[in-house]
Amino acid sequence: MTTFSADFSTRASQPPIQLEPPRLEIAQPILEVRDLNKSYGSVRALEEVSLELYPREVLGVVGESGSGKSTLLRVLNLEEQPEGGEYHLGIPPYEGRNLLQLERFERRALRVKHIGIVYQNPHLGLRMNNTSSGNVAERLVIAGERRFHALRAAARGSLEVSEFPISRMDDPPRKLSGGMQQRVQLAKAIALKPALLLLDEPTTGLDVSVQALVLDTLRRLQRDLGIAMLVVSHDLGVIRTLSDRVVVMRHGRVVESGLTDQVLEDPQHPYTQQLVHAKL
Amino acid sequence: MSRLSELTHDWQDHSYAFLDEASKRELRRKILKAIAIPGYQVPYASREVPMARGWGTGGLQVTLTLVAPHDTVKVIDQGADDSVNAANIRRFIARVAGAATTTDTLRCTLLQSRHRIPEERLLEGQILILQVPEPEPLRGVETSSAASAVLHADADYGLMWLSLYEQIVRHRRVILGASYPVMVGGRYIMAPSPIPRWDVPMLHQAAHLTILSAGREKRLYAVPPYTDVRPLEFDDVPFRIEDQGGEVCYRTGAGHKFLNELPQDDGSSRFELSDSGYGEKLLRRQAGETVEIGATYYDERGGFYHDDLLR
Amino acid sequence: MAYVAARGGEAAILEAERLYKVMLGPLGMAQVRMLTDHLPYLLDRVMGEASLYAPELAALAVAQTGGDLYEAVLLLRAYRSTQPRLAYAAPIEQDAITTVRRVSAAFKDIPGGQVLGPTLDYSHRMLEMNVLRGQPTTTNSSVDVSSTVSSSPTVFPALAAWQRQAGLLPEITADTTTPDEIPDVTREPLLFPVSRSHKLQSLARGDTGGILALGYANMRGYGAVHPTINEVRLGYADVILTHPVTGVHFSAGQVRVSSAEIVTNFAGDPHDPRLELGFSATLGWNEVKVIAASMLDLSMGKAGHASQTPEFVLYHTEPVESSGFCIHFKLPHYVTFQSSLEAMRGVKQLERADDLLEMAEKVDA
Repeated sequence: MTTFSADFSTRASQPPIQLEPPRLEIAQPILEVRDLNKSYGSVRALEEVSLELYPREVLGVVGESGSGKSTLLRVLNLEEQPEGGEYHLGIPPYEGRNLLQLERFERRALRVKHIGIVYQNPHLGLRMNNTSSGNVAERLVIAGERRFHALRAAARGSLEVSEFPISRMDDPPRKLSGGMQQRVQLAKAIALKPALLLLDEPTTGLDVSVQALVLDTLRRLQRDLGIAMLVVSHDLGVIRTLSDRVVVMRHGRVVESGLTDQVLEDPQHPYTQQLVHAKL
Repeated sequence: MSRLSELTHDWQDHSYAFLDEASKRELRRKILKAIAIPGYQVPYASREVPMARGWGTGGLQVTLTLVAPHDTVKVIDQGADDSVNAANIRRFIARVAGAATTTDTLRCTLLQSRHRIPEERLLEGQILILQVPEPEPLRGVETSSAASAVLHADADYGLMWLSLYEQIVRHRRVILGASYPVMVGGRYIMAPSPIPRWDVPMLHQAAHLTILSAGREKRLYAVPPYTDVRPLEFDDVPFRIEDQGGEVCYRTGAGHKFLNELPQDDGSSRFELSDSGYGEKLLRRQAGETVEIGATYYDERGGFYHDDLLR
Repeated sequence: MAYVAARGGEAAILEAERLYKVMLGPLGMAQVRMLTDHLPYLLDRVMGEASLYAPELAALAVAQTGGDLYEAVLLLRAYRSTQPRLAYAAPIEQDAITTVRRVSAAFKDIPGGQVLGPTLDYSHRMLEMNVLRGQPTTTNSSVDVSSTVSSSPTVFPALAAWQRQAGLLPEITADTTTPDEIPDVTREPLLFPVSRSHKLQSLARGDTGGILALGYANMRGYGAVHPTINEVRLGYADVILTHPVTGVHFSAGQVRVSSAEIVTNFAGDPHDPRLELGFSATLGWNEVKVIAASMLDLSMGKAGHASQTPEFVLYHTEPVESSGFCIHFKLPHYVTFQSSLEAMRGVKQLERADDLLEMAEKVDA
């Protein structure tokens, strides 16, 4: 219950809204961060950021560039160390441990097995000169798979559910279109059925028609696999399509959060209002 | 009053076995560390020696550090004692260390080699010193040595497996020739030096000590006796040694040994044993001499002497 | 037929070396003396790359190899390996160098003044054909150079010292590391990330041609900095040792040294920019090398082209290692070639039954 009220704390002045009890109420969060802080010189990228993500839930993070949303994603992917705060994932054997204190070795093991990520820039997520299937297979190899046939089958399966054209599975990503590159990233991210999928502007820079197709795949995958997802975007259309809940970030702070429809239909914070109106 | 010269040694151009004692002490310490952490590349200062870098200066520094007057040294290059560079190194070791030399694998205490392990099994107490051009097995997938050091520390070898996977995808089989990467003691991936795949199993659970040393790249590493050395292989794609194609040595008639191919004028090829010391002994026995020939790693039917590794 | 060839290799190499020596001709003190007397810049280059200051040994090395400089440097380096390190000399500040030449491109006049010194910079690069006609040039000894030497001071502060006072360069705190604790690249391996000591030492004994090539790449447009030469300096430096018993500092002799400082502007805080300094020094007089090396010192570590990556620069400008590895490809590679040939033939003759990829697809389907 505390989480429910926390989510709506910025809406305290509103009369209570009667809704179907959302599923997030009844479950333990799979991801929980508290009081993240991060600065780059004099720029504060994250300031007292707290949020949680529930099993099977999709949480959108919106904000302009410089709002700290990409930094947040890198912290959640354990690529970047914040100055303080806590980060918990409800995955054995990591339950109860502050993940920000893991050794490099443990961070890597956790990332490989339990966190998938799709970057806006495919160069960050893919080995552009290796085969696409190899990009997916590498993740399984690191996790200990030592059978060639199994690697091959898993890479193919993962690419297939990401709706990647299988005839091109052994082409290197550098020879693929932007949309296909994102699908390889997605296949790599979900290859080990992670507990958490992070998406950083997954469709930004793609043609509108391709964007729609990739979003479609993401929605279907999320539904089929039931992965908890956190999607960062400046594009309210993407957020509306994918996420159940949304947090709005500005200057490194969370300024508003709530159910996606509510926040986007009836924004309370002036900054959110500005964002929504700009979009309209 | 005695003269200063009476109180000192006669002037010598260099210390015993060329290197100064401080250099040898550093090497002994680094060798011990390498033995203690099988397969781990230990950086060392690597002094210049009177041979060009890349010509066995790493192996030579180890040999010069270990050699004593009572040692018997064998030096081979491509398996042959008479290869020009092997002859040169052997001559140098004899000159600065006064050690005996031999071409007989069974008789040597120190064996410095480039690119081969002899066909006769090395025994407990013998030391094999392999010259290494490129000690970093990850170099092909990661050029920065700072980055590969981190990969080794984390045993993060996904890239190596990825490269095996892609060889099969591109060529339908693993296409690695010599210098086949191995996993030592289940911990470190190691470059076994450019020995052929034929020789790789000889390092596994071996009775002898192997020290590998790269003078130019300034790294040495070791495989202590009776240590696991397993080639990188997928469970369903077994590692394969070179197929000798049923050919036999035209001089000795020996088969199931590593052979040199000798192109002939008519477009065909002949083959001869790559291990010249072994070949010499076979010929002498055939000429009626009494020659002690050791047990070989591969028998006359091509079977390896233990069945733990090759499938 | 027996394997009589087991000693054939040894006979061959002895003969090959004999032939080389016959073609080179006899070697004596005359050649050594000719080199020390007349080719000081050549010996300086060799001594710098060998990191061994010994003009007579350097002359012997050059004579013995017929002027093959990579071989000469290797000879000296190998000789160096036989010698124990007895002591570490004290660091030399620039204002303790007896300077015969110091020029700056940054200011018209600098504290201590510009000293042109001995240089060919402004000579007309024309062959002295008269020498071939039997008319020697006038020898140095007939010209009195004492006036040019005595009219100017012989020690000068570094220009960087003035720039520091003027707030143009960031202040530095004096390094208190004792000489024998400074990392010594001849006694320990070069590791990355690299320490500044190892970086400067590696540049000091780097291959002149290699340093120039990578330095030039940086100057020409692959670099991240726009350099100005603060100063280039040639001089004589005392090798100051501490007596092991009495503790007295004494000079064990003088060595020829060169150093260069290079600055670039707009470094550090964008709102409070400073100059940034690149430095290098080497044994012997070798201006090209120290200018290029100080350029590399400045640009190394700045993200960008490989010619700014310490690992790339320092590994690939090592004269003994690079030349040795290059010529090692002459050695037989029968075994490795045979092994990869077997792998290649294996792919060519692949039976369908061995096609791992096809098998994997079948299992999958």
